[in-house]
Amino acid sequence: MKASHWVWLPVAAISTSAYATTYFSVEQAQRAIFPGASFTSTGKPNIWRTSNGGYFVVERVVGKHEYITVAIGVNPNGTVKQIEIMDYRESYGYEVRDASWRAQFVGKSASSPLELGADIKNISGATLSSKHITDGVKRVLQGLKG
Amino acid sequence: MVGRIHLFASWRVAPSCSGQRGVGFKAEARMPAYAGCAARAIALAAMLATAATAASAEESIFAFVYTTDLLPQGKSEVEQWMTWRHQKNGGTYDQIEGRTEYEYGLASNLQGAVYLNYAWTQAYHNGPFNATTPPEQFADYAAGADDFFNAKRFTGVSGELIYRILSPYTDGIGLALYTEPTIGKNFFELENKVIVQKNFLDDLLTVAVNFTYAPEYRNVPSDDNPAVFNWQEETDVNVGLGVSYRFIENWSAGFEFLNEREYNSFDFSHLSNSGYYLGPTIHFGGERFFFTATALWQMPWATVHTDTIPGALVNHLVLDNDFERFRFRFKAGYTF
Repeated sequence: MKASHWVWLPVAAISTSAYATTYFSVEQAQRAIFPGASFTSTGKPNIWRTSNGGYFVVERVVGKHEYITVAIGVNPNGTVKQIEIMDYRESYGYEVRDASWRAQFVGKSASSPLELGADIKNISGATLSSKHITDGVKRVLQGLKG
Repeated sequence: MVGRIHLFASWRVAPSCSGQRGVGFKAEARMPAYAGCAARAIALAAMLATAATAASAEESIFAFVYTTDLLPQGKSEVEQWMTWRHQKNGGTYDQIEGRTEYEYGLASNLQGAVYLNYAWTQAYHNGPFNATTPPEQFADYAAGADDFFNAKRFTGVSGELIYRILSPYTDGIGLALYTEPTIGKNFFELENKVIVQKNFLDDLLTVAVNFTYAPEYRNVPSDDNPAVFNWQEETDVNVGLGVSYRFIENWSAGFEFLNEREYNSFDFSHLSNSGYYLGPTIHFGGERFFFTATALWQMPWATVHTDTIPGALVNHLVLDNDFERFRFRFKAGYTF
């Protein structure tokens, strides 16, 4: 193989993103958070209105190496119903998928602190992921309120 | 999905490994040699994909500058370093230093590591006034002014502890203390660092600064009588700056800057050399595998100091001891 071809090997390495684990598709996350509900587009990308008057939002946040995709269900009163991690590909911190960690977000609203280390516990070894998921949820709640 | 497109690109490119250009898929039947090249490219791409998917890492985003990111408690990492130092005053000079490291997360804010260090060098008419001069890691070796010096050695064993006081993710700024004793034949060093890290742009831009104080003892032949060895004091006082931006998933790039100062004492007196290095850095981080590479060129900013030896300074470059014109470091690691 000529030297010119070696330059494509890092590109091939980038391609690994395509084979990373996806835990939920959009439809699966919708069914998990709002079972039996129907969803209509709001005209904004990645934001759906639910048949019960809530919102379903897909938010992409920065991870250590790659983006983390998070599904956020919001009740009609603006509080978090449930969050699900749709994609996670980091070395550590798979605990962000644990139901107990995700449960901390339930009931949070745009007026909640939503700060890592305050009302949301940090995960050792996944501080960056924990912080960005927390910031992402806060951003979504404040965006819906505004 | 971007990856699939790129993987496809690697397939498309593979045929040109046979030396043909501008030939596409349809030519494959006419040129069987193609198939082999394409298959090799795909196999390599698949190997990379498998390695990085099975695996991405708690890693060194810079090759020379440290950050405050540590392994989680109970996690391990192996790293392999390779540093190439090239060209001094003139003649020939190359040195390749290898380090094999095992890191372990002792606590959530404390990381330990051990290193095995080894080096190879060749030098000829590389020093002041065209004299062959063994580089610093071989300072206890004797060489005549016109000898072709070629040697390899196991240079020593190092231990390392890094304690993080502040995290850039939860405290706004990262702060860590680092200590690394190294012991080898005729050599002992205690390298200490203060590591500061600040992230910007949603943590996509990493800025790290290191302050290093590293006193060392070397048992070297005396100038008057090479058969007589004396323990000499030296202190390296360095400042390092690293800036890197994650421009695409898994990939970061930026630059590193170093100012390395050598004192012939432990107390900041007798400054002998001060060199400045600057160059680009690139980093790939996968789920368990990473690699980082940095190339540094010495900047022509060096000046004469109290203990600078005659002939060590050439065109504002200091080329004494472990200073050279160019250095390149590659690190690769696997986390488990």
